[in-house]
Amino acid sequence: MIPSYLEEVLPKEQIRVNDEMGHPLGNGGLQFIEAKSEEDISKVLAYAYVHDKTVNVVSGGTKRGFGGEIERADILLSLASYKGIVEHSVGDLTMTVKPGTTLKEITDQLRNHGQRVALDTSWPELATIGGIVSANDSGPKRLLYGSARDLVIGMRIVYPDGSVIRTGGKVVKNVAGYDMNKLFIGSMGTLGIISEITIKLRPIPKYEGLSLLQFHDGKEQDIRKFAIQLLDSKMEPVSLEVLTPTIAEKVTGKKNYTLAIAFEDRKNAVLDQEKWVKDHFPNGVVHSIKHEEEAKKWWEGFRHLGPNGYNDSKHDADTQAALKIGSNNLDVPIILGAIDKVAEVHHVGVEAHGGVGHGISKVYVKGFPEDIVSYIRAVRAMAEEKGGYAVCTHLPFALREPVGVWGEKPGYFALLEGIKQTNDPKNIMNRKRFVGGI
Amino acid sequence: MARKKRNKVNPDAVVRQLMNIVGEREVLYLKEDLISYECDGYTMTKGMPKAVVFVKNTEHVSQVVRCLNRERIPYIARGAGTGLSGGATPLGGEVIISLVRMKRMLHLDLDNRKAVIEPGFVNLKLTQSISDKGYYYAPDPSSQYACTIGGNVAENSGGAHCLKYGVTTNHILGLEIVLPNGEVVEIGEDGIPDQPGYDLLGLLTGSEGTLGIVTKITVKVLKNPEGKKTVLAYYDDINDASQAVSEIIAAGIIPAALEMMDSIAIEGVESAAYPVGHPLDIAAFLLIEVDGIAAGIDDQIDEILTVCKHNNVREVKVAKDEAERGLWWANRKMGFGAMGAISPDYLVQDGVIPRTRLPEVLIRIAEISKKYDLRIANIFHAGDGNLHPLILFDARIPGESERAAKAGSECLKVCADVGGSITGEHGVGIEKSAEMRFIFSDEEMAAQTNIRAVFNPDDLLNPGKLFPQPGRCVEVKQG
Repeated sequence: MIPSYLEEVLPKEQIRVNDEMGHPLGNGGLQFIEAKSEEDISKVLAYAYVHDKTVNVVSGGTKRGFGGEIERADILLSLASYKGIVEHSVGDLTMTVKPGTTLKEITDQLRNHGQRVALDTSWPELATIGGIVSANDSGPKRLLYGSARDLVIGMRIVYPDGSVIRTGGKVVKNVAGYDMNKLFIGSMGTLGIISEITIKLRPIPKYEGLSLLQFHDGKEQDIRKFAIQLLDSKMEPVSLEVLTPTIAEKVTGKKNYTLAIAFEDRKNAVLDQEKWVKDHFPNGVVHSIKHEEEAKKWWEGFRHLGPNGYNDSKHDADTQAALKIGSNNLDVPIILGAIDKVAEVHHVGVEAHGGVGHGISKVYVKGFPEDIVSYIRAVRAMAEEKGGYAVCTHLPFALREPVGVWGEKPGYFALLEGIKQTNDPKNIMNRKRFVGGI
Repeated sequence: MARKKRNKVNPDAVVRQLMNIVGEREVLYLKEDLISYECDGYTMTKGMPKAVVFVKNTEHVSQVVRCLNRERIPYIARGAGTGLSGGATPLGGEVIISLVRMKRMLHLDLDNRKAVIEPGFVNLKLTQSISDKGYYYAPDPSSQYACTIGGNVAENSGGAHCLKYGVTTNHILGLEIVLPNGEVVEIGEDGIPDQPGYDLLGLLTGSEGTLGIVTKITVKVLKNPEGKKTVLAYYDDINDASQAVSEIIAAGIIPAALEMMDSIAIEGVESAAYPVGHPLDIAAFLLIEVDGIAAGIDDQIDEILTVCKHNNVREVKVAKDEAERGLWWANRKMGFGAMGAISPDYLVQDGVIPRTRLPEVLIRIAEISKKYDLRIANIFHAGDGNLHPLILFDARIPGESERAAKAGSECLKVCADVGGSITGEHGVGIEKSAEMRFIFSDEEMAAQTNIRAVFNPDDLLNPGKLFPQPGRCVEVKQG
């Protein structure tokens, strides 16, 4: 039965009792509510706040496996129907969009105007902009284009008590007041619900190319040397992504360590940089180039790897996990090499890639749950040894507590707690979804 | 420090405690020594600090902060004092913690493209110290020869080249902070991106010294672009120049810089140290710079020239060598200071507008100029919509300073009304705290001050800045 207070909030057809029993990824809710407007979000939160009800938020569902140590909140609020571009100012290269809009929907609309959001995150037809920003997801091309914190210039946030607060603005340069946008990017919905995002756009590049460099076994150290040389040149790669052999096999057909170097610029500039790569790669490397549609198609495939919240197997032996590792840029090839090597010891299958120019790696793991747990512990230790960290961006609900999604609390945890307490004093929003149990 | 003809004033107990921490000679407390700390680059409001303390390391900062907390005395961190909104200006009785002696580079790691520096490190010096290896630090405020990177972090400073490369916040990888309780915390350790937790780096950058005192900074450094070309275009009609700006962006070009100056601003720079010989009868010029892979630049320059011509340019030229490019930029960067050559005083504003709204905003600024009977020059980072109206006045004429301040505020109202912001790179400080109401509701400002309370619960660190002060009268002094 739907509690009567909810019916006071929204029309019946937007509320239903959630019948999914024990979703393997958790982060559910007893009542499923669909928001169709900012006002809906505000009403639901205001009621939840007064009645001490906990609220989980979902849109595309691709990040349902990311954090969260409570299987079900009182309310699961979906923003999936709250979508669409509110305003696209072509001459200002800015766009305001509702959170439930998928990245693909945005990309398709902006393409007509020769513009795009420079985020190359995974599963673009499923993942929504609200989820991407809340989880601070990024792809290989952040090397040149930056990540959400470089692109988002303004937001509307529904605070846990239902009030609506604007952060930032609609102009690309703005230092008025605190940069509150930053607090909500990557905060996993623990401080409020993003109800609108204004984002900087970029022109679609005139031409694009992809150079794939395959390094033979035992030549992995050449990747790092070559990357240093490339980064010290005046070339401007858009990606400098290292692929481990297993993931390379999926996207190139060849089981070798592979470096995916993208260039996006005027045609002459792309060809010139590709020539530089050709002139400088070490002996023994197998080299191929893709242009325009072929390159786009390759990246399209690349963006459809790893868990997406819907492709988990029912078989224990094929349990999936995903990790995000942050490290020094040039530690990426070393860390990827090390974690690839120990996969066998832990009886798990591993596909991984990471950016030598930006320091973020993604690791997709498959195996029995207990093996995944031991493997993640090993990977985290390796990352931390290099001064980095490892966060689990996808894990079955049952494994989250044993593994610890976020790793150790940072030394300044009291500040994070203070911020959470300030915005959400009753702790109703996405409880236990974030660092240190926030 | 030479000391002669001193008033015989003995240091009070607090000053003595500060001297015990940093050394007797590192604390200024006599009125004659404090006068130059009455304000920063924003001179319309002044206040006398209680003392100035020169710290040499993080431990000093922490101890000084603990001491002042115990004594309930407010305090302000200060770098070179070049800020343009009064962020480092005392309201009266604060202790100024000067970070100018913390100016070392602690670590340089070009392979990972980062440098670790102390807050007193001067902006331009960073680029100078890595340029032999082909690297530079991107944010380039006009005061870069003097301003410190600690101050840049506090203000989230921009510069002419942030259209393509972003402002300070896009280049900060890590910070060591002394919190207002004296605790030292390291955020973004080692400069590794996306560390788990709320993005405190992003929150602290641009917080105008109200959340903590930065004692160590890890910044991103970039490789110099392979090629660079600069175009200068003269226009008889400012609307044509505005239209050209929009068309350049619409053509899919992201210039490294896209600057505009109007005729009064040109009159100023041509009377100052680096005259270029700009015609004085034009309405505006555009200074456009494109950088990147050399092979891709000529195409873009050709398109820019076409756009300029299509929009009725009187004359357009490409810099023939580095010397000419350098002169054009020196002339442009003199912009604010040059106003001194044509007016006894000036007030610079820092509004931001959607760049497509420029023509109507310029008309409204011209109306404000007429209304207050004050000349207003416009220097404009046109590419990112950041407008600097320079209000020319003579402080010796009674009432003119107040009129200038009112005209400035009205310019910001115009920016806010077209969906813009009251500051793009200079910060709110004292100057624009009342204008925060143009863009934020009381509730939205409370959301921000509540966050401040997490870091700075007693509001002893740089109090009275950034947010409107109910009931406080700002005394406008004559400059």
